[in-house]
Amino acid sequence: MSKTELDALLKGCTQCGLCREVCIVERLGAHSITSFLCGEEEYSSWLCSSCWRCQEVCPQGVDIHSIMMAKRRQEEPPPGHEAILVNALRFGYALPIENAVNELRRFHGLEPVQLISKQAVETLLEGLEARKAGE
Amino acid sequence: MQTLAVFPGCLVLQRMPQYEKATIRVLRELGICLENIPGAACCGAPLESFTDRWRYLAIYDLALAEQMGRDVVTLCGNCANTLSRAKADMVDPGLRAQVNQALERLGLRFSGVAEIKHLIRLLSEHLDELREKVTRQLPLRVAVTHPCQAIRPSEVMGFDDPLQPEAMRRIVELTGAEVVDYEAEQDCCGSTLYLADEKLGLEAGRRKLSSAGGADVLVDACGNCQLLLERFQGLLRQSGGIEKTAVLTLPQLLGLAMGIDTDDLGIGPATARELIGSSV
Repeated sequence: MSKTELDALLKGCTQCGLCREVCIVERLGAHSITSFLCGEEEYSSWLCSSCWRCQEVCPQGVDIHSIMMAKRRQEEPPPGHEAILVNALRFGYALPIENAVNELRRFHGLEPVQLISKQAVETLLEGLEARKAGE
Repeated sequence: MQTLAVFPGCLVLQRMPQYEKATIRVLRELGICLENIPGAACCGAPLESFTDRWRYLAIYDLALAEQMGRDVVTLCGNCANTLSRAKADMVDPGLRAQVNQALERLGLRFSGVAEIKHLIRLLSEHLDELREKVTRQLPLRVAVTHPCQAIRPSEVMGFDDPLQPEAMRRIVELTGAEVVDYEAEQDCCGSTLYLADEKLGLEAGRRKLSSAGGADVLVDACGNCQLLLERFQGLLRQSGGIEKTAVLTLPQLLGLAMGIDTDDLGIGPATARELIGSSV
């Protein structure tokens, strides 16, 4: 995302700090995207519980979620998120869905999971690769 | 008989078949039949941090449901949120054409007719029928954990009060159980945070769990919440300060009040005995 695009998303933000007040990450003593919005340099866009409270309380209707996603694509992902990307490219799901899953489902009387084809994943996520994903 | 396509999401598929099983069983009492979506993929949520193509996955899933002629019910807040936002974004004709171009190569097309509802929303639309199906009043104190993403952002989800949600409490109250207030009720469980920072995620969970400590049972309706309340509770108990509390998903609790066999709800005998004594 270019600086102009980021500035456009930030338009309206008065740094009132309401977003930071409701952020669970901030209350736990860490610094999320809401610290960035309040003009601070120390924060990680990956430290977020995706609860959407910040955006809900923003009196200016700032699209905090989109700002965070744009920032994430510029920062190194934590290993847990990287692993999800690898799974998604392999199984079409964020978690590995292997034989044991279907055995457990059968035990509970549930139908087996029919996975998406690898070719369909490639069509949908064209150009996406692990480790190069942020580019 | 109404038929809906069920989108359990990866967490429920991989680790929580009991939640899916109880949902199917309880909805059957309401005359609602669930069908799987063969070939479905991730809702797209975890990919949004990497690429704009997360929407392609979400819309692919919706196109599959459309092909089946079904609306969609989700069991996870995260999936409800992502599928709904992707659908809302399709009002952009350029984006919609691009996604449909990719879908065409898979023999699919998105038209936008399939509705997406989280299980809480679906159940909220059937409160009267649910009330009639309750045969046993549960003498339990219940702490509910609201799935954040099923109700926010309100401009897309359009359901319940986004900051003081009530829908889940109303459903639990039908069972005769007492819904207890607790300080961290509106706080996120921390499960999604765990992926980026284990310590922070567990600390969020510890605060939530210790705040809800006075309840007999914790009730959730989301793959992420269920993961935190049940699996991570074990980790937290090892480090001390947390008492063991039973965890049920919303349809499991409803099923108990409907007198459904605990096996059919995926509730283990020990938990069943603890919660409803020898009357099972």
